[in-house]
Amino acid sequence: MTIFLQAVADGLQMGLLYALVAVGLAIIWGLMEMINFAHGEFMMLGMFGAWGLSVSLGWDPLVSMVPIAVVMYGLGVLVYRLLMQRVQRGEMFTQIFATVGLFFFIQNGVVALFTSDYRFVEGSLLTRLSGANLSLGGVRIGVPLLVGGLIALGLFLLLYLLIDRTDFGLAMQATAEDRDAAMLVGIRPQRMYAVAWGLGTALVAVAGVILANFFSVYPQAGLSFTVLAYAIVALGGFGSVLGTLLAALVVGVVQSVTAAYLPPAFKDAFVFGSYILIGLFRPQGLFGRF
Amino acid sequence: MVWAIATLVALLYPIPFERSGQIYYETVGFLVLLNAMLGIGWNIIGGWAGQFDFGPSIFFAIGAYTAALLSIHWGFNAWLALLGAVAVSVVICAALTYPVTRLRGHYFAIATVAMWMIAQPIGATWPLINGSQGLFIPVAAGGGFVHGMLTMEFPGRGKGLGFYYLSLLLFAVTLLGARAVERSKWGFYFRAVRDDQDGAEAIGIDSRLYKVIARCLMAAVFAAGGTLYGFWALAVFPDQVLEVNWNILPMMAAVVGGLGRLWGPVLGAIVLIPISQLMTATLGAGPLAGRGIDLIIYGAVIMLIAGWRPNGLLSLPWAAWAARVRGRAPAPAAPTSPERS
Amino acid sequence: MAPLLQVERCTKRFGGLVANRDVSLTIEPREIVGLIGPNGAGKTTLFNCIGGSLHPDEGRIVLDGTDISAARPERICRLGIARTWQVVRSFGRMTALENVICGALRRTSRVGPARARALDLLAFTGLAGKEDVVAAALTLADKKRLEITRALATSPRLLLLDEAMSGLTPFETAAAVELVRRIHSELGLAICVVEHVMEVVMPLSHRVVVLDHGEKLTEGPPAEVARDERVITAYLGDRYRGRA
Repeated sequence: MTIFLQAVADGLQMGLLYALVAVGLAIIWGLMEMINFAHGEFMMLGMFGAWGLSVSLGWDPLVSMVPIAVVMYGLGVLVYRLLMQRVQRGEMFTQIFATVGLFFFIQNGVVALFTSDYRFVEGSLLTRLSGANLSLGGVRIGVPLLVGGLIALGLFLLLYLLIDRTDFGLAMQATAEDRDAAMLVGIRPQRMYAVAWGLGTALVAVAGVILANFFSVYPQAGLSFTVLAYAIVALGGFGSVLGTLLAALVVGVVQSVTAAYLPPAFKDAFVFGSYILIGLFRPQGLFGRF
Repeated sequence: MVWAIATLVALLYPIPFERSGQIYYETVGFLVLLNAMLGIGWNIIGGWAGQFDFGPSIFFAIGAYTAALLSIHWGFNAWLALLGAVAVSVVICAALTYPVTRLRGHYFAIATVAMWMIAQPIGATWPLINGSQGLFIPVAAGGGFVHGMLTMEFPGRGKGLGFYYLSLLLFAVTLLGARAVERSKWGFYFRAVRDDQDGAEAIGIDSRLYKVIARCLMAAVFAAGGTLYGFWALAVFPDQVLEVNWNILPMMAAVVGGLGRLWGPVLGAIVLIPISQLMTATLGAGPLAGRGIDLIIYGAVIMLIAGWRPNGLLSLPWAAWAARVRGRAPAPAAPTSPERS
Repeated sequence: MAPLLQVERCTKRFGGLVANRDVSLTIEPREIVGLIGPNGAGKTTLFNCIGGSLHPDEGRIVLDGTDISAARPERICRLGIARTWQVVRSFGRMTALENVICGALRRTSRVGPARARALDLLAFTGLAGKEDVVAAALTLADKKRLEITRALATSPRLLLLDEAMSGLTPFETAAAVELVRRIHSELGLAICVVEHVMEVVMPLSHRVVVLDHGEKLTEGPPAEVARDERVITAYLGDRYRGRA
């Protein structure tokens, strides 16, 4: 039983980080129904950014999070303006395909520059805290992951406030509901889309920065996170920010419990299988409205 | 006329390389034909039926493994093994696809990726197929060209040539088969489902059934390709047959050449494969080797095509260019007769 | 003679909105029935239930003795109902001829005979000469014609036309009415027409059914319905009551 509870606890913490990974996708999808195969690659870039700044300048990832977020925001906007804006007018397949190209380009660009070797962030605040635990009724809660999860939660809440309480967020919601009507009241959809891409990219990159404290950094790290993010967004009801958080927690727990009882290679299989099941039986997700 | 020349070129292509002992170019030809064939298969589901399958390599793997198992454990001849591989692949495809036909567009695409990702740990750990240690296909020594064509076994020097012609044969069969499908009821129904699924249903088309049929046709082609690959490599490893290249190259060939056009994947394969080989050749063993430069180029090509030429290279105004080239030819020496207007 | 189509107390809800409430109607073979009512009355919802893209929450729909309430659209087409759509649909990337061939393949598996039939039908509906035009490039009027041609190719016994005249100029409208008349007289189908243009529906229909707010208000010969107070009120409001 303790194994189960431990797995649930671990899963919840990971779930918070997964939520940060997935929410960018939820925003982009909710706003313009675009699918981004390269989503995980931006996360991977965040990881490499954290590692690179840690190795060359000695910056702690918690510090480098900020400049990385800014740079990645810019990258997201750039990708939108240069590529996605063009394919948005075309067919859906072309949109998907364009991001597949981006996926190959980014991932292998990193391979070319850094090789596929595994890297590690060392000496950061969170890695130095590893081993520090809280104990809650027999269940061990690692401090580093807890801190990481709390940071993710904090960012999530900031995002929620942005979307729900600011004029800008309202404009984004309006564009998502009815793009033409939004234009009639003076909102520029292209600007919304560019910001969405910037935000989504920045958020997933920051998730990468945090994750770099716990996972090895290598170029192929992105793809399984992309599919995971999709499973989460589908589960949560495409486009719902709060739904994404709840769904991510569920996914984190499912993955963690699976890993506790099955060989490690299968830990994602259940998650992906759930995606397929959700698509079949409840396409609006657990929390979405169709 | 063009077809006659093309056929002749295809048939004679490897001969000069065989003479000069440059087996490498025969293998490039083999890879081009294999990917062109897979591209045509992918075009059926992706181009005609409009359902984007991003994980077709699972059927490539099923084909390779089934053929390998039939050959190893029951001594099946390679061609019989190929038929068995196709049959198994089609059955599994039907079973896997029917449930997800409810999904549309990118939901379906992600589901196919999810299936591929589930297949990987299965491939690496399943005892029946020896997990990550792979299966090895035994090859009898000796046997000439004809024997090789009948058994897909080309020990020794004749391998490059032999597999080139094997792939040419399978490619031709696939091409002719696809052409027949394109002009048949199935071809019309696939495109109807792609253009307007609800409208198609209203005129009596069972969209779910035809999505399954289209994907099964693709699975059959991929299984045949997987069989061919298995006998070429003489070994089947999960990370090789489930490799991302088998997912992406056929699709790229189809899109770069012209999605939905019969010859699109062929043009695409002819353009793309040599890029990869060129990278391997020029970068050789240098510092950038194995750094995925070819994939970077592929990524850039994909983005360029998607952004600027989504209808593929076949949609470029070839006819207009050809006319301009002909127009620039020097004027005939004799003046045109005034009666001709 | 037994009715071809029987809609029995069809009720369809979307969340809190009751789009069809207890709607019953019948259509006899070879009859032209007009289905009218103000916007939001539930006409297209009813068509969707008959055609199979939606299923009634309560009630039954019976075609020639077969219960089709829960049938999928392709089965309903096979049983003999074809429809056009409120927003015109076509297979945009295929030519007009290819569009109709898709319909004709419902009745024959081979492309050769399907093509011959498609050509005949295109001539019948006045699209001769436009067979090789890509559907997306046709004018609206021609797209609607194509949609009808494609539906006819499935050899229906009942044709549902959903606002086939909307967006047409008066000239195009007259031509379309002429086409519907010809379809009826030469092919012997039953036709149900949803329409807002009264000048079209009233002369064309044998019988008119009026929906309002999801319920059937009344039905009867066109002349009677046009004079019915409740119908006038539904369309024009209370001010016009009593001005029949």
